Amino acid sequence: MSEKHNFAEAAHLLSPRDAALAVLAKTDSTMMQLTQAVTALEKEAQPRTIKVGVSSSATVDLLNIYLRKHGLLNGAKIDMVAGNYDDPIGDVDLFAQAGVDQIVLLPLFDNLLPSFESQLENLDSSIIDAKEQELRQRYRMVFEKARTVPAIYLGTFHRMGVAADASGQDVVAIVLARYNAALREEAAAFPNIRVLDTEDIVRTVGQSAAFDTRFYFRSKAPYTGAYMNELARRIAAAARGFGTHFYKVLALDCDNTLWGGVVGEDLLNGIQLGPYDYPGNIFWRMQQEFAALERQGILLVLVTKNNPADVEEVLSKHPNMVLKESQLVARKVNWVDKSTNLRALAQELNVGLDSFIFLDDSSFECEAVRQQLPMVKTLQVPSTLSDYPRVVAEIRSLCIAGGIAADSKGKTEQYRQRAGAEELKAQFGSQDEYLSSLELKVELTRNARASTVRISELSQKSNQFNLTTTRYSVAEIEQMMGSDSHCVYSLVVSDKFGNAGLTGVAVMRYEGIVAIVENFLMSCRVIGRGVETGIWTRIVTDAMHRGCTELRAAYLPSAKNAQVVDFYDRLGLPMTKESEGARHYTMAAADFALLPNPWIEMIYVE
Amino acid sequence: MLNEDALKLLIATMLNVDITTIDEDSSMDNVSSWDSLRHMNLVLALEEEFKVTIPDEDAGNITSYKLIKLVLNELGG
Repeated sequence: MSEKHNFAEAAHLLSPRDAALAVLAKTDSTMMQLTQAVTALEKEAQPRTIKVGVSSSATVDLLNIYLRKHGLLNGAKIDMVAGNYDDPIGDVDLFAQAGVDQIVLLPLFDNLLPSFESQLENLDSSIIDAKEQELRQRYRMVFEKARTVPAIYLGTFHRMGVAADASGQDVVAIVLARYNAALREEAAAFPNIRVLDTEDIVRTVGQSAAFDTRFYFRSKAPYTGAYMNELARRIAAAARGFGTHFYKVLALDCDNTLWGGVVGEDLLNGIQLGPYDYPGNIFWRMQQEFAALERQGILLVLVTKNNPADVEEVLSKHPNMVLKESQLVARKVNWVDKSTNLRALAQELNVGLDSFIFLDDSSFECEAVRQQLPMVKTLQVPSTLSDYPRVVAEIRSLCIAGGIAADSKGKTEQYRQRAGAEELKAQFGSQDEYLSSLELKVELTRNARASTVRISELSQKSNQFNLTTTRYSVAEIEQMMGSDSHCVYSLVVSDKFGNAGLTGVAVMRYEGIVAIVENFLMSCRVIGRGVETGIWTRIVTDAMHRGCTELRAAYLPSAKNAQVVDFYDRLGLPMTKESEGARHYTMAAADFALLPNPWIEMIYVE
Repeated sequence: MLNEDALKLLIATMLNVDITTIDEDSSMDNVSSWDSLRHMNLVLALEEEFKVTIPDEDAGNITSYKLIKLVLNELGG
């Protein structure tokens, strides 16, 4: 049992917590070491606990220890609720009772019918068709039922055997592709579902290392620890570290990160960057990857110790530069230390530092940022350049785990707008003068049915300007829009710099003569311009037209929304009750009066 | 010779019980946390720690301390 002794030895050097985490981070820890480390870490308080329901047509209990491992690596304690064998519909009810936060669905191809892979060659095509229909109906029902679960991870089908036919296109491969297409098609209608490609897990782990047939025939448990580990790792990534991170900004160094060489020394024509020649082709390829991330909604910024003119020259003149100025939302090209620059960027973009990924080739810079800003995810360009794509693949998986709604695209444009506006602010004498110069337009819409996905997304993401931190699923938004007792107001802000998109939501509930603000939230990028108060005259007027005479609202404190603690006070509502930080307000609707915001043009859309 | 202390520690760890509760008479029948899920992980851990491959027909059946000891001794673990 030598490994155990290693663990014990390591424990003398590291704190018990770090030693246990080191065991989890190692790829070759044994089941025993893993169990010891997981058990030890779970005795300590973790920042969050996540309940995950796992439903499968195979025995996947082995996933338990690996989900807990990857949870702990992300600072989350995972509480796994196992479903019954091959009963996804019943499991959804079971999970609802258990109050799970996430569901993992793992249907097994070979179990669709007993030994399905081996049976297939002998099956009539009508049975294969009927099975597909049944599969679609079944999962459509599962997905419908689980509409309100915040996140569902659906593993696609993989085969266990390999094709005997050299072309690889045997009947198993053909039916597998068809059924996977069916699963993906059914899942596509549900924004809370993320698909996990299990064929890729088998490829990554290796066919022979992924399955253990001993336990398969005996107890329908086909997978090895290696497979389960990779599956759990991918679930954790898709769940953004079980909700522990949400990266929005990629901060890039320049020399030996975006191009090879040092522009200040090698000059414009001396740096290595281009599609054909080594090693310039590696940097060129990585820039293509960064540009793709930008298109998917990640904000790119430069943080580099250089002369601004040198970097400017590369951006505007280098023939092979992939990233253009328009794709960079902000730049810190100076000789100030990187932590200071990152802090400044966080403030300018109004994004938390824990939303930043920082990439640099220098161990010195990486270490300095790691120490001073541990909340920033810091990654280093490897000295062996052929490993660089692997690092960028990691960045990609950190960034785009989880879907990005269409409105999230083009984020750079919106944030750039904000950064531009911040600069303008400095030139004006009074706040009012500045606000008038912006030519602000606010489009307020009641029950914008076409925007339910964005509205739900905003309610999930907004933390700072969120009065009650009530999160809404798409289904809940749709339901409230269709009901008599609720109204969902959403607002789109634009100014002379551009359109900021749908950036605010107010949910109203009506109970007889009382109109209750169930929640009000806004994206931080449009705050501070009077928009948040400007919309209420209309909302209150609408409520009075419905016959409401009383207005109620509440602020419920969260870890992040101190910014709006006095929002309703500022709106002129009298506080009627305060307990444990929660504030409740009541007012006669007729008394509601606001000073006009002359600098905002309000447009109402029904 | 089989290291029985190591075996007891392994069984206790994998079944999440105190090591002092594991003795010669421990089995699936009298250790409540010894269920089929934990049993599978236990078999995997035994294979790794004692560097043996437990044959198919034994894997599901070694549900007591004595039987585990017997199989490990046979396999020279």
